Amino acid sequence: MSFREKTAWITLITLIVTSLLFVLHPPLQLTLAPEPDVFSLHVLLLSIATFVVIEIVAIVVVRIRSPRDAKAPLDERERLIVLKARSVAWYVLAASSLGSVMTTIHLGANELGLAYCVLISFVLSLMVNYAARIVYYRRGA
Amino acid sequence: MTGTAITNTIRKLRFERNEMTQQDLAERVGVTRQTINAIELGKYSPSLEVAFRIAAALGVRLEEVFSHDGGTAKPHGSGK
Repeated sequence: MSFREKTAWITLITLIVTSLLFVLHPPLQLTLAPEPDVFSLHVLLLSIATFVVIEIVAIVVVRIRSPRDAKAPLDERERLIVLKARSVAWYVLAASSLGSVMTTIHLGANELGLAYCVLISFVLSLMVNYAARIVYYRRGA
Repeated sequence: MTGTAITNTIRKLRFERNEMTQQDLAERVGVTRQTINAIELGKYSPSLEVAFRIAAALGVRLEEVFSHDGGTAKPHGSGK
């Protein structure tokens, strides 16, 4: 498995884990906090911090294990894979952003609710982006 | 992904050259080992530039490395 395929796996798994950490956080689910909106922001920041730490540590470990691959620039096949994965993710981002805006307008959510919907769209498109990269790496291009 | 109609003899040519490894060839061509592997297996068709670089690294002409299986290609502007 190439260095860049490994980093795609790391990013995808870290995204899934930290998204679950945010969504399944028990107090957030029960909304027992005195100020749920402020509390959910704290959980969001905690999830982002967790993502950054796991991502940095895991990628540093992979870089140390395969320094030559890590230093090599993207070749034409890898650039093609990145472009194809981005084009798939773009459709997901566009559809989910539009869907979230329509949903929040329909449900009458506040600004924070709208921001969360857009954030979810962004995270979802990132997941699709990295999942598509892995598929293309597995398939050859 | 389905394989391409372009076949190649990279594997044979590598073994004829002191069993050159995919990594050695990749370094000479300037791509990753995984890309050489994908080309060898017919999963990826390289650009013309990389194809020429592979031929040069193996010390042969382009047509000795790559060939097309899929019949005669229609030239641009040939109508139907």
